[in-house]
Amino acid sequence: MSTDNTVTANTAAASESGSALGPFSLERGLQALREEMDAPTAAFFSSCVHCGLCAQSCPFFVETGDPKYTPIHKLEPLRRLWEQEFTLWGKLKARLGFSQPIDDALLEEWEPLLYDSCSMCGRCSLVCPVGNDIQAMVRKTREGMVASGHSPEGLIAASVRAVNTGSPMGLQWKTLDVQIGHVESASGLTVPIDQAGADYLVLLSSMEIINFPEYLEAIAKIFAHAGVSWTLSKDCFEATNAGVQIGSKDIAAVLVRRVVDAAVKLGVKNVISPECGHAYTGIRWEGPNVIGQRYPFKVFHIIEVLDQLRADGRLRTEGMETDRLSMHDPCNLARKSGVIDEQRNLMKLVAEDFVDMKEHGKYQWCCGAGGGVSSNERAEELKMAAFRRKKAQIEEIRPDRLVTMCATCRTQLEEGLEEYTMDIPVVGLTEMIAEHLVEDAPPTAAAPVKEGAPS
Amino acid sequence: MTLGETLERNGISRRGFLKFCVTTASLMALPPTAATAIAEALASARRPSVIWLSFQECTGCTESLTRSFAPTLENLILETISLDYHHTLQAAAGEAAELAREQAMHANEGKYLLVVDGSLPGPGSNPGYSTIAGISNLQMLEETVAGAAAVVAVGTCAAFGGLPVADPNPTGAVPVSAVVRDKPVINVSGCPPLPMVITGVLAHYLTFGKLPELDEYGRPLAFFGQSIHDRCYRRPFYDKGRFAETFDDEGAKKGWCLYRLGCKGPMAYNACATMKWNGGTSWPIESGHPCLGCSEPDFWDAGGFYKALSVPTGNIGGTAAVAGLAGVAAGAVGGYLSGRAKKDARTAHRQVTADELEQKL
Ligand code: SF4
Ligand code: SF4
Ligand code: SF4
Ligand code: SF4
Repeated sequence: MSTDNTVTANTAAASESGSALGPFSLERGLQALREEMDAPTAAFFSSCVHCGLCAQSCPFFVETGDPKYTPIHKLEPLRRLWEQEFTLWGKLKARLGFSQPIDDALLEEWEPLLYDSCSMCGRCSLVCPVGNDIQAMVRKTREGMVASGHSPEGLIAASVRAVNTGSPMGLQWKTLDVQIGHVESASGLTVPIDQAGADYLVLLSSMEIINFPEYLEAIAKIFAHAGVSWTLSKDCFEATNAGVQIGSKDIAAVLVRRVVDAAVKLGVKNVISPECGHAYTGIRWEGPNVIGQRYPFKVFHIIEVLDQLRADGRLRTEGMETDRLSMHDPCNLARKSGVIDEQRNLMKLVAEDFVDMKEHGKYQWCCGAGGGVSSNERAEELKMAAFRRKKAQIEEIRPDRLVTMCATCRTQLEEGLEEYTMDIPVVGLTEMIAEHLVEDAPPTAAAPVKEGAPS
Repeated sequence: MTLGETLERNGISRRGFLKFCVTTASLMALPPTAATAIAEALASARRPSVIWLSFQECTGCTESLTRSFAPTLENLILETISLDYHHTLQAAAGEAAELAREQAMHANEGKYLLVVDGSLPGPGSNPGYSTIAGISNLQMLEETVAGAAAVVAVGTCAAFGGLPVADPNPTGAVPVSAVVRDKPVINVSGCPPLPMVITGVLAHYLTFGKLPELDEYGRPLAFFGQSIHDRCYRRPFYDKGRFAETFDDEGAKKGWCLYRLGCKGPMAYNACATMKWNGGTSWPIESGHPCLGCSEPDFWDAGGFYKALSVPTGNIGGTAAVAGLAGVAAGAVGGYLSGRAKKDARTAHRQVTADELEQKL
C-alpha cells in the first residue's frame, strides 16, 4: 500500500504509455540517472555560476540564438535529480512540495535537447570558467534517457543493428568482402585477413566502407610501402560504437567487448581506429571504463600511426599539392584527445599551401554531425544550422579544398557545402598521403632513420 | 573628463577596456549582454567623488588595491574616480588635507561614495586610541557619512572588526556597520580583499546607479555567494576523504585536501578560488596552504589557523558559527547520502539490451 502520491502518479503514467516506452520506464530512467551521479557531477552543478559562456561556445546555440540550447540547460533532468535527491536544500524543498517533478513530460521535452542539439563536441567543457565538464554530463544524462525510453529512433535502430549485425548501418562481412576484392584488384596488393600475430588490427567504420572505399585502399598501400604488418578481423571490423552515442554503457560494453575479443584472438599488440572521431574516443577512452578492464593492447587513431611512421622515416613521399588547403579537426580527435600536431605534420609532408582556420586544434568548431546527431533524422535541420558556424570559418579563409580525418565529419562537410553551393571538395588525409607515396620503393625497413627513432 | 577619456589618455585600448567589462559582468554573474551596459556607463561616467577614510588598519587593503599588480585597469579605474581624500595616497598634508575632505563633502553633498578601511574605537571606548588631525575616528566617520550616498567597508577590519576586535579587543573596536545605521553599508571583507571585488562593486554602482545584491553579512553576493570549499579544485579529494596530514607528507605532495591542516574553506565565503591572486597567478590553497577564512567575522579567534575546522567563539560570530556548523553537517550528510544512493542504484541496475531496444522500434 503506497501513500506516496508521486509514486502512484508515476506508475500510472508509465503504464498508460506502456507500449510507447517498451520495457523502459520513468523509474528505470531515474535509477539510471542516480547511478550516474558522482562527486564531480555534484560539484559541477553546485559550481555553475550561470555565466552563459557555454552558450557562446555551442554551435547549436550560436547559430540558432535559442536560449534552450544553452549547454548547461540541456542537463536539466540530471540537475533536478541532483538537487532533489542529493542536496539538503532540495530534499527540504521536495518535502515541502516546492520542487518540480522529473516526469515523462519533462524527459520528452528534453529529448531533442540532449540528442538533436548536442554533438558532444566538448567545446562547452573547454570554455567553462569553473571547469564543468558539460559534454560528459550530457553523456551521463543520455543513460537516463535510454532507460526511460526517451531516445531517438534513429539511434535505437543503429544500436540494435550494431549489436545484431555487427554494424550500425547493418553491413555484414560479405559487403566488406566485395570491397576487399575491388581494393585487391585495383592495387595488386593482398588485404590480410585474420592474420594471427600481426602488429596492427585495423578497424573500419561502416560509413567509410559505404561512402569512402578509397580509405581501405589507401591503408593497404601505405602499410605495404612502410612494411607494416597488419590485419582485418572477420569477427569484428566495425570500430564505431552506437552504445556510446545513444548513451548506454551496457550496449557500449557489448560492442567494445567484441573488439577486445577479436584483438585477443589474433594476439595483436595494437588496434587502429579508422578515420572516425567518435570511434576513437569510444574505443580508446571510454572502452576500458565500460568493460571495467585494461586492454592487453594499445589503441591508436590512424593519423597517430601515420605520423609515427613519418617520424620513423618510413613514409617516403614525392610531389606536393599546390592548391590552397585547409583542415577540419574532428572534435573527438583534436579537442577531446589532443591529437592536433600529428595531422599538421602530415600535411607539411604533402601540401605547399596549407592554411589553418582561425579557431583550430582544441578551439575548432564542430561540424555539427557528431554525437549521434547524424544518425537521428529528426535532427537534420539543427545539424545544418550548426554547420553554419563551420561554414563561416571556411568562408573566412576560402580554401580550394578541405582535408579531414573522420568519415562523419567528411560526410557532413560535403553535404553542408553542397547545401550552400560552395564548391570545395573534401578529402580524407590518409588518402591524400597514399597518393604521394614514392612508387615501387622496396619495403623500407632499411630506409634512412631519423635520430631518436627505434631502429 | 569622463572615465573613457581618461583611460584612453592612459593608453588603455577600447578592447582592453571591454575585456575588463566582460570580466566584471561575468564575475558578477550578469548575462554577457550586461558587459555592453557596463562599458557604456563606465566610459561616460563623470569621475564620481570618493572619500576614503583609514582607521585602525594596517594599510594592507590599500596595498592590495593599488599595488598588487600595477599598473592594471583596476587601479587606473580607482585612480580615475575622483579620490578626493585618501590618507595614504594623497599628496596634501595637514590642514590642506582636511580642507580637501571638507570641500569634497560640500561639493558632492549626498552623492559621494565613502570608502572606509579599518575598524574604529566604538562609542563607549576611549576615542584617543585612534585619531586623525586631532579628530576621533568616530567623529570623522559620523561627519563624513552624513552626506554620503553609501559606504563601502573595505577589508575585514572595517567590515567585521578584524584584528583590532580580536580577543581581548583592547581598543573597544567596532566595525563600520556598528556605527552607520541610516546609510547602506557594503562589506567587502577579506584580509585583504581581492582588488577586483572592490572595482566590481564600484563598476556596478556606476553602471546601475544602485548597489549590488548583498548577503546577510552585507557582502556582495556575486563575490561572496559561494564558499571557497564549493569552488576549490581540491574538492574531489575532500569528497573522497583524501587529506594531507602534514605539510610535507605524500598527501601534501599529491595535492590532497587541506582540511585536516586547518583549512577554513568550508566556512569561508570569498572569490579566491575563482579569481585567484596577483593577477590570477595562484591562491593560497593552490600554493599548498589552507584557507584562513579571512573574509569571515572573527576569523582571528576561530581557534587556530592550523586546527581542523573549528568555529569562531566570539559573540558577533554566533551566527557564523551556526552557519559554519550547518555547512559542515550538510556536506557530511550530502556525502553520505550520495554514497548510499549510488550504491543502491548500482545494485538495482537493469541491463539495457538490444532486444529491449528493439521492442521500441
Ligand atoms: S560555462 Fe560553466 S559556469 Fe558558465 S553557465 Fe555554463 S556550466 Fe555554468
Ligand atoms: S558538447 Fe558541443 S554541442 Fe554539446 S552542448 Fe557542449 S558545445 Fe554544445
Ligand atoms: S577543505 Fe579546503 S582544501 Fe579541502 S576542498 Fe575544502 S577548501 Fe579545498
Ligand atoms: S583563501 Fe581564504 S584566507 Fe586566503 S584570502 Fe581567500 S578567504 Fe582569505
